[in-house]
Amino acid sequence: MFWRPVFLSLLFLGGVHPVFGDFPRKEPISPIPAPPAEDPRKIALGKRLFQDPQLSQDGTISCERCHRLAEGGHDPRPFSKGVGGALGSVNAPTVYNSSLNLAQFWDGRASSLEEQIDGPLQNPVEMAMSWPEVLRRLRADATYQQAFRALYPDGITAANVRDAIAAFERSLLTWNAPFDRWLRGDKTALSPQALQGYELFQSYGCIACHQGANVGGNLYQEMGAMGDYFADRGTPITRSDLGRFNVTGRPEDRHFFKVPSLRLAVRTAPYFHDASAKTLEEAIRLMARYQLGREIPDAHIPPIIAFLQSLMGTHPLLRP
Amino acid sequence: MNIHRFGLIQYALLIVTAVLILVFLQTRRLDLAQHTHRLDLLLQLQQTEAQLDRNTFQMTAFQLVQYDPFVTYIRRIRDLLQQLAELEAGEAASSTLHQEIEAYRQALSDKFTLIERLKSTTALIRNQLHYLPAAAQTLSETHPQLGQRIAPLLNALYRYNLLPSDLARQRLLQDMDALAASAYLPEEREALDHLLSHMRANLRLMERLDGLRARYATIPTDTHFAQLYRDYSKRHEAQSRIARYFNALLLIVALLLLVGLGLALRKIYQAQQALKKAHDQLHNAVENLSEAFALFGADGHLILHNRQYATFYPWLRTILSSRPHISDILECQAAQEITLWDLKNRPIPPFKGRLPCRKDRFYQEELPNGRWYLASDTCTPDRELICVRVDISESKHFELELRKLYRALEQSPATVIITDCEGNIEYVNPRFEETTGYKAAEVIGQNPRILKSGDKSPEEYKELWDTIKSGRTWRGQFHNRRKDGKIYWESASISPVRDESGKITHFIAVKEDITARKRAEDQLRMNATVFETTNEGIMVTDEKNRIVTVNPAFTRITGYEPEEVIGRKPSILSSGRHDRAFYQKMWESLKKRGAWSGEIWNRRKDGSVYPEWLSIAAIHGPDHPHQEYVAIFSDITRRKQDEAQIQRQANFDALTGLPNRSLFADRLAHSLRSARRENWLVALLFIDLDHFKSINDTLGHVVGDNLLQQVAKRLRSCVRESDTVARFGGDEFVVLLDDIKKASIAAKTAKKIIAALQVPFDLDGREGYIGASIGITLFPTDGQDGDTLLRNADMAMYRAKSAGRNNYQFFTDSMNQQMRDRAALEQDLRLALEREQLFLYYQPIVDFKTGRMTGVEVLLRWHHPTRGLISPNRFIPLAEEIGLIGPIGAWVLEHACTQAEHWQEAGLDLHINVNLSTRQLALGLTPTYIADLLRTHQFSPKHLVLEITESLVLDKNAASLSWIHTLKDLGIRFAVDDFGTGYSSLSYLKRFPVDILKIDRSFVQDLPEDRNDAALVKAILAMAHSFGLEVVAEGVETCEQLRFLQAIDCRKGQGYLFSPPLPPEQIPLLFEKGFETCLSAGMQTVQPQALPFIEEPPSTQPDCEHAPQSGGGGDQEHD
Repeated sequence: MFWRPVFLSLLFLGGVHPVFGDFPRKEPISPIPAPPAEDPRKIALGKRLFQDPQLSQDGTISCERCHRLAEGGHDPRPFSKGVGGALGSVNAPTVYNSSLNLAQFWDGRASSLEEQIDGPLQNPVEMAMSWPEVLRRLRADATYQQAFRALYPDGITAANVRDAIAAFERSLLTWNAPFDRWLRGDKTALSPQALQGYELFQSYGCIACHQGANVGGNLYQEMGAMGDYFADRGTPITRSDLGRFNVTGRPEDRHFFKVPSLRLAVRTAPYFHDASAKTLEEAIRLMARYQLGREIPDAHIPPIIAFLQSLMGTHPLLRP
Repeated sequence: MNIHRFGLIQYALLIVTAVLILVFLQTRRLDLAQHTHRLDLLLQLQQTEAQLDRNTFQMTAFQLVQYDPFVTYIRRIRDLLQQLAELEAGEAASSTLHQEIEAYRQALSDKFTLIERLKSTTALIRNQLHYLPAAAQTLSETHPQLGQRIAPLLNALYRYNLLPSDLARQRLLQDMDALAASAYLPEEREALDHLLSHMRANLRLMERLDGLRARYATIPTDTHFAQLYRDYSKRHEAQSRIARYFNALLLIVALLLLVGLGLALRKIYQAQQALKKAHDQLHNAVENLSEAFALFGADGHLILHNRQYATFYPWLRTILSSRPHISDILECQAAQEITLWDLKNRPIPPFKGRLPCRKDRFYQEELPNGRWYLASDTCTPDRELICVRVDISESKHFELELRKLYRALEQSPATVIITDCEGNIEYVNPRFEETTGYKAAEVIGQNPRILKSGDKSPEEYKELWDTIKSGRTWRGQFHNRRKDGKIYWESASISPVRDESGKITHFIAVKEDITARKRAEDQLRMNATVFETTNEGIMVTDEKNRIVTVNPAFTRITGYEPEEVIGRKPSILSSGRHDRAFYQKMWESLKKRGAWSGEIWNRRKDGSVYPEWLSIAAIHGPDHPHQEYVAIFSDITRRKQDEAQIQRQANFDALTGLPNRSLFADRLAHSLRSARRENWLVALLFIDLDHFKSINDTLGHVVGDNLLQQVAKRLRSCVRESDTVARFGGDEFVVLLDDIKKASIAAKTAKKIIAALQVPFDLDGREGYIGASIGITLFPTDGQDGDTLLRNADMAMYRAKSAGRNNYQFFTDSMNQQMRDRAALEQDLRLALEREQLFLYYQPIVDFKTGRMTGVEVLLRWHHPTRGLISPNRFIPLAEEIGLIGPIGAWVLEHACTQAEHWQEAGLDLHINVNLSTRQLALGLTPTYIADLLRTHQFSPKHLVLEITESLVLDKNAASLSWIHTLKDLGIRFAVDDFGTGYSSLSYLKRFPVDILKIDRSFVQDLPEDRNDAALVKAILAMAHSFGLEVVAEGVETCEQLRFLQAIDCRKGQGYLFSPPLPPEQIPLLFEKGFETCLSAGMQTVQPQALPFIEEPPSTQPDCEHAPQSGGGGDQEHD
């Protein structure tokens, strides 16, 4: 198993080094790191699997169906429709930059991308599949057989399917955002309005949670830390609203959710786990109200949006 | 024993080696690299955890601006833990370590949970710390007073945040409560409350942070890590200790092995010494062997050979020292003329390439110097080849000697049996097997008495045994029995066989099958008996033609006693009746063919002459051919008499006693010869009785025969004695008048005969009258040979008969001319076909109702180059007679079909009627031929009508009936031609598959005047209709006839009224035109054009039937 150290060192070189590296600017937000080196054939295979509706029970739903890569890697519908039109209970988050998150799902119940894949695949309201059936279908396809054999000595297995899809997802980093360029020292990369938005973003305290390379995604926070969001929402509390509590069972984790990344916020409406905010303005206002405990004047919203705009990097699959 | 010990040593070594490997593996259990890796993992874990802790404290001191490092470190720790767990998973025994790791992982997990809480808490606090100054700023801008009051409180809060203490917190809470307790304007109150709520939240969160931090500090990851590290080190030490023990063990085992190796080496040395000694001994032994020996290695090179080998093959001496390859040796051997034999002395081919390497392969080598070697080329399991040669020259020579003797025995023509003293068979030769039918295997060990047939007495056997046991030889004959039961004779000589000391050890019987000799003797005896008793005289002469012996029959026939004739020549028997030429011929035949037989007249002793049938044969001696003769003869006096009788019967008519045809022919030839010589006139009277048949038929054969006898008597009375009256059979008699002066004598005789035969005969008491017709020919005027004369007389007789009976007629020139004509015509007819003088005419057959032509009758014409058109009435009977009707009929059918095919192609729907002759059936007109013909012309059988005569229909012959049926099955229709003229009655038509009746023209021509004919035609029509037959009237010539026929419902007809027979090219025109005008008006006939002969309308030539040359009456012709 000589490749393991090599692989580890690659991981460290590609993933860790930029985090620890010296930036031109010392800011709570760091640039998106370069994607880890990976066999392009594996990424291609992961992409094919990601886009293959065969992975759902009735052959209609692919991963991409609810993580639309061109738009924002998310589902613009409040709740995704699974096999047979079943509705999910939370808004599908973006798959872009998801590898930077501390865990997957709103409640962080999957500690890795590989683990995450089991969720929607087997969820009866999503793809409603079982691994044996997935493998049976993939093995019936000669081109899959060939592609897997080229990459894995043991061919088509659940672990290898997960590995391929995760490898593809790890490649989904939105690189070279204007803000990242600014962080690297390009003074012209940010408009004055965006810069003003960044300052407001910090002064309002948003930055406390939405920081790091992914501008969020690296901690859990209570939904309604400074106000009773669920009481004001006006709809009954669902199981999904319990958030991280569903994973840990600890009372103090009630209504705690993974802080979402804001990297593609301008593209990923609707917002929040319950998709209650239809627009970015609304989301900003609601966040200020319930998380910061204050109202934000109208004049401050466009700069913040401009700042959020500058967070969006590029990816070949993402519509610019 | 040695092998056994060596096996034990091997096992011991194997066990020691296994132990060595096991021990080595045990030492390997201490894997330094793995240990280092573990330590490295633990170190990394410790470091990363320390970094995590550092980060946590930085965070709680709000020194950390982002949380990404946590994600990184936590992932790293999880990964390291995973690696560690995986490493330990291989170590089954260290469950305590597993537990330690699990405990450490649990503590870390608790720590991670706390970190998450710390992260969200510090985030919220940071959030407030970010926001409070901005909020205070806003407040002081809107409410400056309130701002001033809140500023120190805010300062105290930030101080608390930096340097938290319970007292400061207490004071802050009191101050905030005091501030809140004051009175404010509503908008001031709202702003103050907002600010205070944030400050309170900060305090609350700070308190939570404190708690979390305290909990974080108490998480015992370090103790767990220390415990883990300690346990791990302990375990490593224990393993190291064990490894040390095993190392020591390894050393001991290795030392043991070394000692063993030393011992083994010593043993090997000793063994080598022993081996060398053994080798030397073996070498000496081999060297001193009397056999030649050579050993070749698996590579084919000579390894070892002894002195003897070089002595055996002296020519190899030069190359033997240079370790030659076997192929070199074989090459050298091949140069010598060495012959190879297998053990059964069959030659085997010399070896090419390698010697065949087989087990137990023996063969013999015969060297040119006369030496013989027994050779064996044996392979060892190691593919080495051992060649051994033994000099067997001595024994071989003995063997050859023996074999010669043995072969002599085996091939002896005499039976040889060797028995032991007791008489048990030890050997028999193949001749014995042949003679007795017993196989050697069956008789070995048996007593020869199995061959006894039982006709020798025990005394005789005793005598035999006494003789041979006393050492003498017994000779005698046996009458023995073969295995298959056959008896045979053999002469035997049995003698004792003695060994060197003179003791009798065996008996040998040499016997000869004398059955054949015995048989020959018997045969001779039998022959002698035959010789003595036969009725035929036998006489044997020697090479000098002197009588050697005669038998009793000879004496009986000739009257000579043997002693009277022996030593004399056979000529004493000569009768003198035969000339010298006769005897010469006889001797020629004897010399050439070795035999002669024939009739000869000889003279008896008493002088009488007698005929005898004599057969003489040369006796074939082995060295004097043809010199002795045996003559066998029988007295054939009696036979001669019998022959005379037969002669009479052969030449004379038994009934009348008159010469028959054959004797008559002889006499005639004889008298013609004389007549020619003497210029005589000879007359031949051919007499045929009139009315004899009716007498024979009515009064019976006996009366008929009686009549013939009377006739014969009267005929004889009419002629001279020298004339010949012969009966030719039936009622035909011929009289030959020899040597007459003139023809009138013949006429006179004829008259006399007629007169004689006119006198009534007495026929069994009744008076009967007959007459005679006589034809006369004269030689030499009417013919030069007997046959011609007879034939011409016959013809003249017929002329006489047709000129009225009781009449005679001379053969005349005109008769002759007629004959010649006929012959010429016959000749021409044979050529007519190939010279294409035959052609076909077609006469339309008309439907009375429609006026359409429905068919044509095919009529044959012969255009003779000199005689012009010849009537079919003349040449068809001739053709039938000479068999030419076959090819002509085929020609007609073929041409008619070809023509019909043309018409059909042109759209003329016509059937063709072809006349058939009865004779054609016999001449090969088979249904197959007709079917093939139709198929070739693609002509539908339905369109073919075959016209046959009544006689064919009347023929009861099954063959012709099936002929008609087969053709009917093909679809061909049949018409009865000239119906009414023959004997046919309508009734039999039912039985025959005819389809059409053609009413003969003779009935039609007198219609309607002749009432009989009219009635007959009506009857025919009525009858035919009732049978469903079609009726065609032939020879319709006038309108009256047509009208009458129409009136009585006759539907079809042919005749000059419509058209004469026409050449084929005119038919299509007529077909188009039809005959309606002719029918309706009953007007003139159609004028045929361009006929090859003059065509007259029948009205001016009513008797066309009898004038065939004119071409009329075509519809009655035969084809």
